[in-house]
Amino acid sequence: MLDSLGQFGAALAHLLSGWGVLNVFWATLLGIIIGALPGLTATMGVALMTTLTFTMGHEQAILVLVCIYVGAIYGGSRSAILLNIPGTPASACSTLDGFPLARQGLAGRAMGISTAGSWLGTLFGILCVAALTPVLSEVALKFQSFEFFWIAVFGIVIAGTLAGGDPLKGYIAGFLGLFIATIGQEPYYNYARFAFGSTDLAGGIGLLPALVGCFGVAEVLQSMRGPAVQAVANKIDSVIPRIEDVVRYWRTILRSGAIGTFIGILPGLGEDTAAWSSYAAARRASKEKDKFGKGSVEGLMAAETGESACVPGAIIPVLTLAVPGSAPAAVLMAAMLIHGLNPGPNLMLQTPEFFYQIVAMLLIADMSKLFVGLTLVRPLLWILLVPRERLMPVVFVLCVVGAYAITSRVFDIYVMLFFGLLGFVLRQLKFPMAPLILGLVLGELLEKNLTRGLVLSGGDIAPFFTRPVSGALAAITIGSILWSIPAFSDRVRSLFRRRAVRPA
Amino acid sequence: MPDEPPPLLPPEEPLPPRTDLWVAASFLAFSAAILVLAWQMPTYTDQGGPIYNAPALVPSFYGVVIGLLSVWLAARAVRAGALGPTAGRDAPRTNGNSNGRLALAAGLGILFIVGLIGRMPFWLAAAIFVTLFIAAFEWRPGLDAKSRLRSLATALLQGVLTGLLVTLVFERLFLVRLP
Repeated sequence: MLDSLGQFGAALAHLLSGWGVLNVFWATLLGIIIGALPGLTATMGVALMTTLTFTMGHEQAILVLVCIYVGAIYGGSRSAILLNIPGTPASACSTLDGFPLARQGLAGRAMGISTAGSWLGTLFGILCVAALTPVLSEVALKFQSFEFFWIAVFGIVIAGTLAGGDPLKGYIAGFLGLFIATIGQEPYYNYARFAFGSTDLAGGIGLLPALVGCFGVAEVLQSMRGPAVQAVANKIDSVIPRIEDVVRYWRTILRSGAIGTFIGILPGLGEDTAAWSSYAAARRASKEKDKFGKGSVEGLMAAETGESACVPGAIIPVLTLAVPGSAPAAVLMAAMLIHGLNPGPNLMLQTPEFFYQIVAMLLIADMSKLFVGLTLVRPLLWILLVPRERLMPVVFVLCVVGAYAITSRVFDIYVMLFFGLLGFVLRQLKFPMAPLILGLVLGELLEKNLTRGLVLSGGDIAPFFTRPVSGALAAITIGSILWSIPAFSDRVRSLFRRRAVRPA
Repeated sequence: MPDEPPPLLPPEEPLPPRTDLWVAASFLAFSAAILVLAWQMPTYTDQGGPIYNAPALVPSFYGVVIGLLSVWLAARAVRAGALGPTAGRDAPRTNGNSNGRLALAAGLGILFIVGLIGRMPFWLAAAIFVTLFIAAFEWRPGLDAKSRLRSLATALLQGVLTGLLVTLVFERLFLVRLP
């Protein structure tokens, strides 16, 4: 215990030395700005900044990205409260009670609740990262290819089922992402699949250009297509969080923290699901149900705590299984790979100091978010007034730079453009993006473990189903698919209802 | 009737069934294309390699799954009335969306990537793109000459500043290569 605390202290000191403090400040501020501006998301921010931090050392680069991620998820609530427009999809839930509070002249109080909830939620999640990551890594070390194959499939299926919208379209998006990941040279014979003679395609589709396209270019197009956001002038009261709000709703904070972290751990779901689930749970348990949707302090606290607890939660599976818990965590994982880190169960063996560093990074980002969120209220308000006509071309330029900079291939700019258009069209057709991204990220893991498992078993697929953990994961995955078929789930529900009625 | 568990996210308005049918048909054609291309790949069994290491195995698996899911989507769309006489005839709701603005933004983006990048220094390409983008979207018919000139001047200023700042920050400060 003392040894762990010592290592954690050393990580904190190391990260904050030199340019560390300055990096933390600008990255958190930039994250909050990205989150607050409608049309810019946390995923896009982390993806773009991966390029900017490419030449930094891995500790400072990941620190900057964690600050951007934590800041952007929090920043989304600013526009949710003041404009009734969620800055990021994660803060959509905060509009329900945040905006009514602002309309009652309590915008400052709403921002204080949002800041307190977000800070406590991330803190709760950080404690879970510190407590759960070593245990889960230990378990994951016992996994073989069969289990990793099912973890990848489970990630795609669960993201498709629960990421919002139509599960069937979620599955299609997930398998489309997996397919795209097969383009280029395969690992055994270096045969260039689906390359059509192009050396660029033989090199494969870069994850970062695809992500920048799906979340950057598609957002620019969506933002320019939609109606203009009307900024509301609002007199801001004190933004300092009230102790009574925290003390009164401590149960809600703990519950939302636990829900948010748990949803973060599940692959591909992310902060929006965490916020809505925490909100729904708080409403069910509340004594003031009628206030929800009309400016409930408890509702806003639940949504903010849940979404912010999800951030550290989403990093847990990255560190233990190399499976991201959310779309921004997927980009963070890609950044770790770019910087030569090896996320997954071997991380604790190969670079144990990085585990303490990531806990320290999350804590630093959380504290910085609290400081920036409470001090720079006015400048953040002005930024919300920047018209999209002036903002979006700059974002597009940054997307181009972001796509190009890692490998310096012009081809990657075309990849970004293609994925931007594809992402936009798929969104219009109600395909969720999270499973697509998860498919792109997990494609290599899935293929490697499927073929390696088949080599180990001599071509026999039985171990994929008969090994205990593999079998359980297979059952959950197949069960999740069957559950999304209404005829099946209705029949199971009616079966249970009949059983419940019979004894009476 | 007992309460259904609340969904994790608020429900979205579904697309007309006929649109879903077209989407399913497109994905079915896509999965067929994957399978045809996968069939043409070498298996390397003649070199003693096991069939389960063949390059086509994994993409074929994905192709089959995408095909099956597309059939499921098509069947669901047909059950929802995609082949009915009135399916897909509902006027699409615009919700303030404008396809004109979308086409303009996409067109300017493509012009920037295909027409400007690589033909001039990046700062200049970025400056031209940003200026054109702002000028095009802030163009209002009936605006007086003074306001129009001011709008154009600020667009040009922002364009040049963006080009210079992006170059300075990325290329000089963070040592990132620009196209």
